Amino acid sequence: MTVVQVSAGWVPLAAVLLLAGAAAAAGLDGALAARAQGLPAGRGLVTPVAETARLFRQRRRTTVAADSPLRWVGVAGLLTVALLMAAVVPFGRWTVADLAVGVVWFNAMDVLLWAAVWLAGWGPNSLHPLVGGYRFLAQALCYELPLMFALTAPAVAAGSLRLGDVVAAQSGLWFVVWMPVAFAVFCAAVLAFSVWGPFRAPADATGAGGVLAESSGVDRWLLGTGRYALLAAGAAFGTTVFLGGGQGPVLPAELWLLVKTAVLLAALVVLGRRLPVVRPERLAAPAWLVALPLVLVQLLVVTVVVVVRG
Amino acid sequence: MDLTTRLATARTAVLVAEVPGWAATRCAVEREVRTRGWRLAGSPADADVLVVCGRPGPRLAAAVDHVWAQLPGPRARVQVHGPADVPPALDAALADLADAPAQRRDAADRPAEPAPGSLATDLPAPDGDAARDEDADRTPGFDDPGPAPDPDDGTDDGTDPDDGTDMSGMDMPMPGGVPLAGGGDDDQLPDPDRLDLDVLHVPLGPVLPCWPAGLLVHTTLQGDLVVAARAEVLEPAGAPPAGDGVHGTPAGRWDAVAALLALAGDADGAAAAARLRDALLAGADAAAEEARLGRRVRRSRLLHWSLRGVGELDGADAADRLAHWAGAGEQLVPITLEQVAALVTGVDLATARLVVASLDLDTSDRTRVPVPAP
Repeated sequence: MTVVQVSAGWVPLAAVLLLAGAAAAAGLDGALAARAQGLPAGRGLVTPVAETARLFRQRRRTTVAADSPLRWVGVAGLLTVALLMAAVVPFGRWTVADLAVGVVWFNAMDVLLWAAVWLAGWGPNSLHPLVGGYRFLAQALCYELPLMFALTAPAVAAGSLRLGDVVAAQSGLWFVVWMPVAFAVFCAAVLAFSVWGPFRAPADATGAGGVLAESSGVDRWLLGTGRYALLAAGAAFGTTVFLGGGQGPVLPAELWLLVKTAVLLAALVVLGRRLPVVRPERLAAPAWLVALPLVLVQLLVVTVVVVVRG
Repeated sequence: MDLTTRLATARTAVLVAEVPGWAATRCAVEREVRTRGWRLAGSPADADVLVVCGRPGPRLAAAVDHVWAQLPGPRARVQVHGPADVPPALDAALADLADAPAQRRDAADRPAEPAPGSLATDLPAPDGDAARDEDADRTPGFDDPGPAPDPDDGTDDGTDPDDGTDMSGMDMPMPGGVPLAGGGDDDQLPDPDRLDLDVLHVPLGPVLPCWPAGLLVHTTLQGDLVVAARAEVLEPAGAPPAGDGVHGTPAGRWDAVAALLALAGDADGAAAAARLRDALLAGADAAAEEARLGRRVRRSRLLHWSLRGVGELDGADAADRLAHWAGAGEQLVPITLEQVAALVTGVDLATARLVVASLDLDTSDRTRVPVPAP
């Protein structure tokens, strides 16, 4: 199956799909939260709509001596990065951007988040957001290298950085089957760059909302939606490089991609809710002493298999 | 109410300002918020409604006013004095939020640009409410050479971002009228990482979610590290109602568990603990649920790992205290504000929040402890 690059006119459709994924993740999270509160889960499903209505009706706040241009870069950055990540994911036979370096592109976009989240924290000129921004950098130091090596494994196995080739290389066996460690590290990193679940320390209650603490109205909507969109984009990319992308019997490739992405996204949301926050200073040791060596061993195994198979 | 307004108020975020002694009222607010499908706000910027539980004294009232000024709007503010007031008060708040013309007028009346806040009184007045209240009204200007004035920002205040300490250097740039963080004088401590970071004076509290009522901790920060701290309790106006205490009861134990779990990031566990607390306050028999939740909390390895070593006091840390509460252990630990200040010194802001939550202070217990100047 070859992947065809479609015209840029289809980008809005990709954005709509991404936002739908973000809304689905927010709805699922709202439903789970409502159930924990003892309310019918159905009431939580409207959370994304209700929060959108609430935030669009709310005034934007400014703070004293805020660094507005940089703040806007940060606030708009999360959603932008999520869309740029999703742009390289092949949707069945079609893709918005068929890059020869798709895997590297995803990694480069995720590094942009270092700047985006930090700027969102720096911009308001206020203590808790700034601390949150730095906590994100500390967290990024923990997840970035393991993530890079986790992404290297599928690329080595496929012998290509092009996502269409990575999907084609999984026609026999999904990469998740023989790269479970890389897949687990990738999923953890998606949670971490989305500032979600156990890795939401940059925006958690101990910092009164951290990078979100001073934002309201549409700023808060962009940051919140950006986080869910990053989760959705990460799930779509993870599906592509580890779960066989659009591969599957009977159903068309597009539908398979959507189904697998939805399942992975739901798993990330559910998993993220079940785990308490891991503060960045506690994360550093396991990330560097356990996750990084394990993912390197995984990469070694994959490389040896590829060399032996010729 | 049209559809947009109905949707926009379906998840109304409520910030609760609890006055020491009105814990049962705060619990009633939290229960009502939950049953309406609303949620608790994490910061003033996140809030639609400010609920003041109890009668705050002058300093606490001033802090609450500051927080109120930070709500983005549409906003509503209500005052409740007892659990029975809560449902009608929240109905009134909802009506306020839905009243678009009134909200427009409120927005038009507010200054377009944020202004720097006033300063938290830093002069210790351990005895005598009169002297303390007088201090509360004193708002030194930014050129006041007094020692380390703090902006009284309630919680995470954007309006007083970088409160400098070195006020003597008048040629220092002051963006937005706010002095930059600067090298401290005598309070600049040797930095453990040898970074010689600028010091910043930041008050934590008194209006902060998952935080003891009325507690105000004046912290001196280098980076996000608390290098010095002084704690005090802002008092209510008059005596709190009798029988409004939650502390020291089984419900109070689960209230403490809920606060610590919320800060530790276990939202579902915190929700379960809060529901259990409310069931106990309503007089329900919840022994089975207590045992179940207690087991769940004590078995969470990740939770224990993340709380291990936090706030060590008498050989027990936050993880031990949480397990103790979850196992239906006695709650009351006598602790002074000096000990609180000592425990949050030398840790980062996030850990400081966990430490304070793990101590479960009863700020309505008015045993006076002299607090020395930092």
